[in-house]
Amino acid sequence: MLYINKKEVLRYLGYKNQILDQTTKILIEECIDEIRHLVSKRYIYRILDISRKESKIILSQYILELEGKDINRHLEGAESCVLMAVTLGNYVDTRIRYYEKFDMTKALILDACATTAVEQVCDEACEEIESKVNQQGKKLTPRYSPGYGDLPIEIQQKFISILEADKTIGLTTSSHNILIPRKSVTAIMGIVDENQKIEKRTCLNCNKFSDCIARKEGVSCGN
Amino acid sequence: MEIKTYLERNVLIFDGAMGTMLQNMGLKLGELPEILNIISPEKIIEIHKKYIDAGAKVITTNTFGANEIKLKNSNFTVEEIIDAGLKNAKEAIKDKNCFIALDIGPIGELLEPMGTLSFEKAYEIFKRQIIQGVKSEADLILIETMTDLYEAKAAVLAAKENSNLPVFCTMSFEENKRTFTGCSAASMVMVLQGLGVDALGVNCSLGPKELESIIDEVLEIAKIPVMVQPNAGLPRLCNGNTIFDFSPEEFGDYGQKFVKKGIKIIGGCCGTTDAHIKSLVKNLENIQVKNLNYKSIRGICTPTRTVFIDEVKVIGERINPTGKKLFKEALKNGNMDYILREAIAQVEAGADILDINVGLPEINEEEMMIKVIKEIQSILDVPLQIDSNDPKVIESGLRVYNGKAIVNSVNGEDKHLEQILPLVKKYGGAIVGLTLDDKGIPSNAEERFKIAEKIVNTAQQYGIDKSDIYIDCLTLTAAAQQENVKETLKAILMVKENLNVKTVLGVSNVSFGLPNRGLLNRTFLAASLAAGLDLPIINPIDQDMMDTIKASKVLLNTDKGATDYLKSYNNKDYKIPKVEEFKKESLSNIIEKGLREEAKDATIKLLEQKDPLLIVNQDIVSALDLVGEKYEKGYIFLPQLIQSAETVKESLEVIKNRLSKDSFSQISKGKIILATVKGDIHDIGKNIVKVLLENYGFQVIDLGKDVPKEKIVEEAIKHNVKLIGLSSLMTTTVKNMEETIKALKEVNSNFEVMVGGAVLNKDYADMICADYYARDAKEAVTIAKKIFG
Repeated sequence: MLYINKKEVLRYLGYKNQILDQTTKILIEECIDEIRHLVSKRYIYRILDISRKESKIILSQYILELEGKDINRHLEGAESCVLMAVTLGNYVDTRIRYYEKFDMTKALILDACATTAVEQVCDEACEEIESKVNQQGKKLTPRYSPGYGDLPIEIQQKFISILEADKTIGLTTSSHNILIPRKSVTAIMGIVDENQKIEKRTCLNCNKFSDCIARKEGVSCGN
Repeated sequence: MEIKTYLERNVLIFDGAMGTMLQNMGLKLGELPEILNIISPEKIIEIHKKYIDAGAKVITTNTFGANEIKLKNSNFTVEEIIDAGLKNAKEAIKDKNCFIALDIGPIGELLEPMGTLSFEKAYEIFKRQIIQGVKSEADLILIETMTDLYEAKAAVLAAKENSNLPVFCTMSFEENKRTFTGCSAASMVMVLQGLGVDALGVNCSLGPKELESIIDEVLEIAKIPVMVQPNAGLPRLCNGNTIFDFSPEEFGDYGQKFVKKGIKIIGGCCGTTDAHIKSLVKNLENIQVKNLNYKSIRGICTPTRTVFIDEVKVIGERINPTGKKLFKEALKNGNMDYILREAIAQVEAGADILDINVGLPEINEEEMMIKVIKEIQSILDVPLQIDSNDPKVIESGLRVYNGKAIVNSVNGEDKHLEQILPLVKKYGGAIVGLTLDDKGIPSNAEERFKIAEKIVNTAQQYGIDKSDIYIDCLTLTAAAQQENVKETLKAILMVKENLNVKTVLGVSNVSFGLPNRGLLNRTFLAASLAAGLDLPIINPIDQDMMDTIKASKVLLNTDKGATDYLKSYNNKDYKIPKVEEFKKESLSNIIEKGLREEAKDATIKLLEQKDPLLIVNQDIVSALDLVGEKYEKGYIFLPQLIQSAETVKESLEVIKNRLSKDSFSQISKGKIILATVKGDIHDIGKNIVKVLLENYGFQVIDLGKDVPKEKIVEEAIKHNVKLIGLSSLMTTTVKNMEETIKALKEVNSNFEVMVGGAVLNKDYADMICADYYARDAKEAVTIAKKIFG
């Protein structure tokens, strides 16, 4: 069963070492337990070759071209990459909606648990992929998702269709490119040489630097 | 020969995958295969021909994703692609004896409540495909690879209402025997069969081996031909490509096995080629068609929950405004939360089915029925009973309901039967038949039985199965017609014995006008259950009534070994009065600590000594302010703030009940509209703001999520509000926020707008001309207070 890191849940809830009263403690425990039963984790990924033309990154086996400073930096030195999609399924969404009607506290905490869970599933998927590429003396760059930096969210639809994620894991997008089920992630990772130094993602090289609320409050947004 | 005639004597063999064959020819993933119908028709024709040569009797057009959403960015219309698809199929067939299936796959966007696409819009999308398919002369419609029963329903309705062609529908299941959205095989069969499809079944996702147990489940209960199109084994990723391992020989073997089990229509899905179909044809030579030997089931469902009427099941009666002041208010104000909480409480108390009655002269009952059904189904999977006198309301309810519903009700009048029964048949529901007619309720059991018999016979003439008829022998009040009370019990016995249908009964009328109503109700309930009542309509929150049912199940030998009874009562202090000690805490302490369960009793207690308004203004507001301050200073964090807010809500609920309408308006601080803007569905932040604002006495009109600017403007004018709160979580939808603000200001420059959401900040809010930026829910309250003084 899925491991849920309580510290992460608290981080998503904006916890800064306040005193945890008994009610809140119990609620968090209950929600962690509940999310583990609600999740039907599914993921899919494909390894794709990359070619480059001017500033574009071309995934030649498929109809997809990526543009932008961030994605170029992210895939620097990579000759291939991984497209990945992860979802927790829609029971989680329904349950959060359910609690919102009569127990907002629980809805809020369950939402944070679900966010933690989806990241956890991403980590699991990445571990699996990493162990594969390690055998070839390669490693993965961190996950990068549509809608972050200058990688447009409109590319979401392409990701879904290349991964056939609707058919394979039941993941779709809305007309406004929101992933549905809600607790889902799509991401791209570069496959680079084991010895390549990967620039650690910090707030300094994020293009939301000046706007970011989390940073102003002295915490990380987690991405 | 017509397909249906062919099917009676033959196994109908479909073709295999289109996508696999195209990928073998070099199609790249991410490309729309449907446009090949126009840009390389020769490829499509070649594939069709291969399948025809392999012996397929039906070929499927290359139109799986030919809907307006998927074709949005192509240069072709739905009509052009579908017409070309059918032309290609015809070209491949020439003079051979084959049928053409118009292929329809999922839209690619999830429907409400999971996604944002409305049921009505989905219907329109499918309708466009169907109309062109009919025009271009398809022989049948194949709706396939569905994972959402609601979407399948929209497609089937579109097909049935816009064509006379046979409709086949298949869904895709995972190894846990559920579709991605949780639909079970039993629910699929109940719903699709009810909607009148000509064949149903399963396809894609798994190979023949893994599909076998699901096929067995379907074959066990389906009354109509069952179809299967498996993949060529379990899909497996290899070097980034999907591989299917099943050889044509293995595939053919399984095909034979399936047909011997009773499958009448068979073909292939992903990974299958003409070689697989050829093997299938070879293996099915000289195999006799097996007639289905299905088990008759009685029940209703939602996609994820089936309720079989094989023992006593409880129908909750509380979604009904009759005699309920607060419920009427909620209907008038469109206060969905109130109604939803009634639904949740009943399900938590053990209701198996909920009756939905929203009839009130002042409101549009049809719109409200649609809204309430959709809202309940967005959070609960309990099946519903649509309760109305108006056929139009019943039809609209049946249409948008996701699953198989009960209709409450039809009576023995000819005109009424003519109006209601065709609706029940069309949408595949179950029906409650009331034993009354134009002459009223007969006083004796024999007359009531006669009406029941008439209803059962007429319903059957309309094609409604006996298993879907539940007779209500009607309860009379003991205070007025004491001698007739036992006639109801007698009628139940007669109906059960002679008509072989299930019975339903609202019992609480019996006690009207007499004291200690609970006693009469549960005594009558026990007697009715003994007479054979299957579906009591009661208030499930009434513990005595639920206890009576549990006890009856033991005494009537349906709860074998008293298993459920023991589970409920063994080792449990089930009747010990509540412990009084916590009441020592003051209301303000309770709020501060967020002790939600204790707020209600503490408030009731306090009301004994204090004026309600005084409680609000002293105890509640001061506690709230204190909690708010602690939050601002970082002494507590968000869940703790919300927990206190929810505690206040409990307390206010009690106070509202005490107050007359006039004095309630005294604590109302003003109306505020809240909405998450168009395109965005991240609304948890908005909902938090709502809870807090309501705590402080503001009346919140919550327009929900994904709200178009027109709607926000319309509601703002209608309710004459001063303040509008907008939320948005994505950079891409902030644009819609800006447009909404502009639209609001154009109509009335006095509208004040506050905005919030993770991507916003003060500068950004200024840029889009918002009047206020609320960085969190607490600040939204400060802004509201400032505006309303």
